[in-house]
Amino acid sequence: MKRADARDLETGDKWEIQLRKGCLELAFLAALWDGKLYGLEILRRLESDSDLIVSEGTVYPLLSRLKALGLVQSEWVESDAGHPRKYYALTSAGRQRVRQMAGMWTRFSSSMSRLLAPLVKGK
Amino acid sequence: MTMSDDMSGDAQQRIETYLSKLRQRLRGVSDRDAREIVEELRSHIMDKAAASGKSSGEAAGEAHGDLTSAGVDAALAGLGSPEELASQYITDDLLAQAEVSRSPVRTLKSLFRWSSLSVAGFFVLLGSIGGYFFGAVFVLVAVAKLLHPRTAGLWVFPNGSGDFEMSFRLGFGSAPAGGRDVLGWWIVPIGWLVGCGLVMLTTYIALWFVRQYRKSLVLPPA
Repeated sequence: MKRADARDLETGDKWEIQLRKGCLELAFLAALWDGKLYGLEILRRLESDSDLIVSEGTVYPLLSRLKALGLVQSEWVESDAGHPRKYYALTSAGRQRVRQMAGMWTRFSSSMSRLLAPLVKGK
Repeated sequence: MTMSDDMSGDAQQRIETYLSKLRQRLRGVSDRDAREIVEELRSHIMDKAAASGKSSGEAAGEAHGDLTSAGVDAALAGLGSPEELASQYITDDLLAQAEVSRSPVRTLKSLFRWSSLSVAGFFVLLGSIGGYFFGAVFVLVAVAKLLHPRTAGLWVFPNGSGDFEMSFRLGFGSAPAGGRDVLGWWIVPIGWLVGCGLVMLTTYIALWFVRQYRKSLVLPPA
């Protein structure tokens, strides 16, 4: 019984990881909606506006993938800090994609919320 | 030289060591892309180290562009090992190159890389090796027929247990006893067509799998 509980817990954790991973692309693109940001700013935006915890090592490869997919573009900008920073901005395909994803997300999450309402109330 | 200068020099050295390790492991990534990756991470480490120096209230970190050891360590630890970081870039880059170039060699190279990361990649690699192998055999036999007209070709001959055996022969040695060269000269056009067709089909199917994998890659590994 104990072992089964531990396994359930583990499965729950894995599920949460998968769920969070699944949101990353949307979260990155959404963070860029208002304008261009560099990698560390994207990270900070995600930390402050969502509880998505993204490791720094995954941010840059992920950004380079989004760039390869044509969803974002990048440019180097000189900064006051004394070194240039690489800024990312949504391309028009990226804007279209994130709007589409946001719509899907909203529909999906509101239908899930309806389904889960009795459960959450019962708590 | 003050103590903070020492620290800063040491910290700078550690950043360079990390970045040069990363650069070495970015094999297969074009020079231009590798340089850009390294510069972007350098910029990240500087920003991150300066910020953590500031937040921990270390005097050296407050100064513009000055780096503290602790700040740099924290920034490097946050990025993970250079090996891991490089492997995330390489996989995607190799697969992207394969998609663009559509060359069997590139495809195989990326599949080798993919197969080291996932079971799915391993099976796609295995299937592709099979496809390329048979494709190459057809083409080779078609070429060998021109060199050894009497013995090369697709032969059917009786084996010891009363069955028939089919075999591609490049024409070395004598023709199998009691055997029949099924296609004769037709092996030349058929070998070329089927062989090249197989190679193209294998590349096409392998790249289809690669594309599916790359789509899933937008989500980084757990």
